[in-house]
Amino acid sequence: MANVLNIVQAINQALEIEMENDPTVVVYGEDVGLEGGVFRVTAGLQKKFGKDRVFDTPLAESAIVGTAVGMAINGLKPVVELQFMGFSYPAFNQIISHVARMRNRSRGRYNLPMVIRAPYGGGIRALEHHSESTEAIYAHIPGIKVVIPSTPYDAKGLLIAAIRDPDPVLFLEPKRIYRAFKQEVPEEAYELPIGKAKIVEEGEDVTIITWGAMVRDVQKASEMVKEKGIYPEIIDLRTISPMDRETFVESVKKTGRAIVVHEAPKSFGAGAEIIAVINEKAFLYLEAPPTRITGFDTTFPLPRGEKHYIPSPERIAKTIEDVVKF
Amino acid sequence: MRYEFRFPDIGEGIREGTLVKWLVNVGDLVKEGQSLAEVETDKVTTEIPSPKNGKIVELKYKEGDTIEVDEVFVVIETEGENKEAESKEDVEVEKQVVREESAGVVGEVIASSEVIPASNELIEPTTKTTKKKKVLATPVARQLAKDLGIDITTIEGTGPNGRVMKEDILRAKEQLSKPVVQPKFEVEPVQQVEKVEKAEKLAIEYQSENIKRIPLTRIRKTIADQMVKSRFTIPHTTAMDEIDVTKLVEFRNRYKDGLKEDGINITYLPFIIKAVIKALKEYPVFNSTFDEENEEIILKHFYHIGIATDTDRGLMVPVIRDADKKSIIELAKEIEDITTRAKENKIELSELKGSTFTITNYGSIGGYFGIPIINYPESAILGVGKIVKKPIVRDDEIVIAYVLPLSLSYDHRIIDGASGARFLNVLKELLTNPDMLLLKS
Repeated sequence: MANVLNIVQAINQALEIEMENDPTVVVYGEDVGLEGGVFRVTAGLQKKFGKDRVFDTPLAESAIVGTAVGMAINGLKPVVELQFMGFSYPAFNQIISHVARMRNRSRGRYNLPMVIRAPYGGGIRALEHHSESTEAIYAHIPGIKVVIPSTPYDAKGLLIAAIRDPDPVLFLEPKRIYRAFKQEVPEEAYELPIGKAKIVEEGEDVTIITWGAMVRDVQKASEMVKEKGIYPEIIDLRTISPMDRETFVESVKKTGRAIVVHEAPKSFGAGAEIIAVINEKAFLYLEAPPTRITGFDTTFPLPRGEKHYIPSPERIAKTIEDVVKF
Repeated sequence: MRYEFRFPDIGEGIREGTLVKWLVNVGDLVKEGQSLAEVETDKVTTEIPSPKNGKIVELKYKEGDTIEVDEVFVVIETEGENKEAESKEDVEVEKQVVREESAGVVGEVIASSEVIPASNELIEPTTKTTKKKKVLATPVARQLAKDLGIDITTIEGTGPNGRVMKEDILRAKEQLSKPVVQPKFEVEPVQQVEKVEKAEKLAIEYQSENIKRIPLTRIRKTIADQMVKSRFTIPHTTAMDEIDVTKLVEFRNRYKDGLKEDGINITYLPFIIKAVIKALKEYPVFNSTFDEENEEIILKHFYHIGIATDTDRGLMVPVIRDADKKSIIELAKEIEDITTRAKENKIELSELKGSTFTITNYGSIGGYFGIPIINYPESAILGVGKIVKKPIVRDDEIVIAYVLPLSLSYDHRIIDGASGARFLNVLKELLTNPDMLLLKS
């Protein structure tokens, strides 16, 4: 039977394959061992690879990331899990001061082949700190790659590429769509290039740049506006940093219009950077102001309010029409 | 088949839960994903979904009981006792998109068996050509064009890489609202003011959504300038006549097929050119230019005949040089060559200059009489209409003859009406009698 998996299963398969292929790969974090992680992403790994390679840690994110730095310097490939992106801030000093800088600080003597995995984004009716989308904070730091998959196929290929990457990768998993759909995924190992966006849908009226869980909502919005004769080109950025500027700049030159959709707050988000690049590289092609459809500049709301916060397909469709009619 | 559903591991270290409420009864039919019970753990109250389609056979606990993970919790009789029926059912379930609230301890992760299309990662996207014309312009330039009601895609940009500059838009606007032609020669000032007023009025009268404004191409502008210059400088008059060319038609028919075999397409035009040259030699003022400045008439002793040609880009006049020194067959070949090249835009600029007399053959498109405008600074032009069969009077009898209509426009400042008639008479004599034409030329 075909290997049809949801994102959780695809990531689990990627971890299993890489642990099998490479004895230096170790997996640890809060509850990842015995429990298989709070979302069951690491389920079955401790049983298969033992407690030396898959183990639970104390509730100490700084220690989780800090020990990974030491392991990576000494020849292991740690793939650590932070239970939620909102729990990454205790580890922030390790990430910004050591993870991102070790290669530069050691003048190239030490590189850190490590991956920090964290479920990110809202939409699961969770508590405070459990719905963060702060990818822009990490994308702003030179020396760390930020990758966000949107499908099971991409999740597996990108995670394998991240594990094999000689430098640190922050791998953010859109938990809202962890189990929302399945996709046929090759059983064997494969890599998708980090730093390469994907044109999910070709169109010529407007370019929509998005990533993570928003890709599906943008596709739904696209179906709505197609009925009105508007054909958006949808780009799944897949890697926030380093950003694949060429793909979206070329697309905007073709369509003359650009929209960025992200779940994170509007101000100082990744959308601002993308639009700045568009203004620099495709200014003379623009027929409407590059526009953002995002969350709001507030703390992510508690369950009752979250539906109003995350851009809905209806909100996206309305804005697409406004931009095309501008 | 009996399926024993064990209390699932719902994560984050939960080992047991309290059964708050059953949501189904024994005997109920349940679907995969349907909630069976509400269970409270030390972190959250959650609903436990059924893993199977089937009938509830047994509920193992009472409300208020504590259930440990992995204890059998519910027994479900799955549908279809025989294997065939069961597999069929499985297929159906597989197809169905089942939405369920997953049993997570933190929040509710939507779980669904919906399958999205496989990735097309390795398939090269087919590059579609875009149908819209893209224009390079700054937003301020686009806004300017919008404000002026000009479609920016119609403007030719002069900036770097063809960028449409604000100046280009203003120039396009100016062209649209000014008179179509700005005569280079001197005209009465009053006349010019009148024209400007009229043209500007025109621009105001129409609403921009009801009309389309097309900026003049360079070639159209040249044609327009030339026509105005001729029409407003030369007082035109036109003489017309119908000529019985029955014999000429017969003559041509006799040789046409034979010549075609040699690759020569013989039309009436070479005969007409021959007759025109004879007439020009007899009345040289028709092959002259009026030098207004020196108040002299310049007679030319060379005969370069312009052939007005309809092309995609507009009217062009390729020139047959020294037509008087060429045979009818040579003329036929040359006409075909230069008019074809003019239509294909493969003609040299030098081949479009220096004619001394022009022939315009609107008959090839079906026209009969016309009032041709002189190709300035020449002094006359011959319009050739379509040869048609017509009843005419010949020797006091009505007969059917082939008739060629000719229209001769000439500069009335230097040519009197009588001369015009005489010129046409020469053409008439020669074209009516092709033998004479050949003998005399």
